[in-house]
Amino acid sequence: MTDDTTDPTTNDGEQDRPTSGEPQESADPVAEKPRESVDSVAEEPRESVDSVAEESAGGDELVAEEPPGPYVESPIIMATVRIITPFVFTLGLFVMFHGADSSGGGFQGGVIVGTVVLMLGIAFGIEVTREWIGPRLPVGLVAVGVLVFLTIGVGSVLLGGDFLEYEEYGIHHASKYGIELVELAIGLIVAGIVTGLFFVIAGGMADSEGDLA
Amino acid sequence: MTTPIEAGLLVFVLACGVAAALLRDVLASIIAFSAYSLGIAIIWVFLRAPDVGLTEAAVGAGIMTVLFLLTIAKTVRPAGERTFERVDVRALGVAVALVAVLSTTLFALPAVGAADSAVATDAVTEHYLENAYDETEVKNAVTAVLAAYRGFDTLGEAVVVYAAGVGLLVVLKKEAFE
Repeated sequence: MTDDTTDPTTNDGEQDRPTSGEPQESADPVAEKPRESVDSVAEEPRESVDSVAEESAGGDELVAEEPPGPYVESPIIMATVRIITPFVFTLGLFVMFHGADSSGGGFQGGVIVGTVVLMLGIAFGIEVTREWIGPRLPVGLVAVGVLVFLTIGVGSVLLGGDFLEYEEYGIHHASKYGIELVELAIGLIVAGIVTGLFFVIAGGMADSEGDLA
Repeated sequence: MTTPIEAGLLVFVLACGVAAALLRDVLASIIAFSAYSLGIAIIWVFLRAPDVGLTEAAVGAGIMTVLFLLTIAKTVRPAGERTFERVDVRALGVAVALVAVLSTTLFALPAVGAADSAVATDAVTEHYLENAYDETEVKNAVTAVLAAYRGFDTLGEAVVVYAAGVGLLVVLKKEAFE
């Protein structure tokens, strides 16, 4: 009974593997026994894929193989990411802003914006992306987000109202814009945390470039 | 009452959950877990909770899958040909007993969408639904509660995310680049 229900799922998992090729490569560099045939047919590409996988996993040979690395990886993933990144980023901002009027909000939109960085990392190499983004930006975003939220909340108290009493600011539609600003702040926090976690977990395999601490 | 699509989704989610628990290969387990999250997200939408569904799809099926995959990149595949983990009978017994105990509370819940449930008749709910659109000038009552009426709670949540995130970053950074 258990086998009956779970077998299709298992098969789905097997079929999914080629599509999720990149994480798979970096996922088990040790256990590659089933792919012996691929090895014998095309040894060269396999090699390069391996090195890329290692590199995107934060391998040691980053310096030696950086230039060709990301570009050998997968033109399909890179082209796809290149095209959809602006749209995903816009969608994330839309979900953040429009959370006031439809489903969504800062938490969801922040995750979607963070996904942009994850996609860039998967397509172009995590280490390269990390160096491009810099170590301080994610943490900085988080701090700015918390500060903005706190300022909006405590600011109305300083102006003589209650916590988060938007009307105290005396702007036209203060409540609406205040809520959207709060959503944006939450989005900054979430996006920063998602990005930072992604880099730091991927960086666990590297033994260098600990420049944040 | 339950449409075939909902029933199918429930079966799918249950099957994915069991597969995630039983599969021996961690990669397959993660894929099953991701499929489970996606199914739950669609169920949330069917239950008229699109905000929660969006969160589940973005976090559960999206980010968590990537983070899990990155994490298992440091592990090796278990040896042997078995597809499924052996079931620990005692652990299974404890789990089934816990689910059975929790299930007894199910009968106390109102029917899905019942008009006389506490959720719909509560005074606080009524207040929010009647005044949220005028007072906060936003059209999503969930956001109105989150960012205006319960803004202090949300600030707490944001600070919790901040504290947990920064703590994790510091610890993992230390481990990773020791």
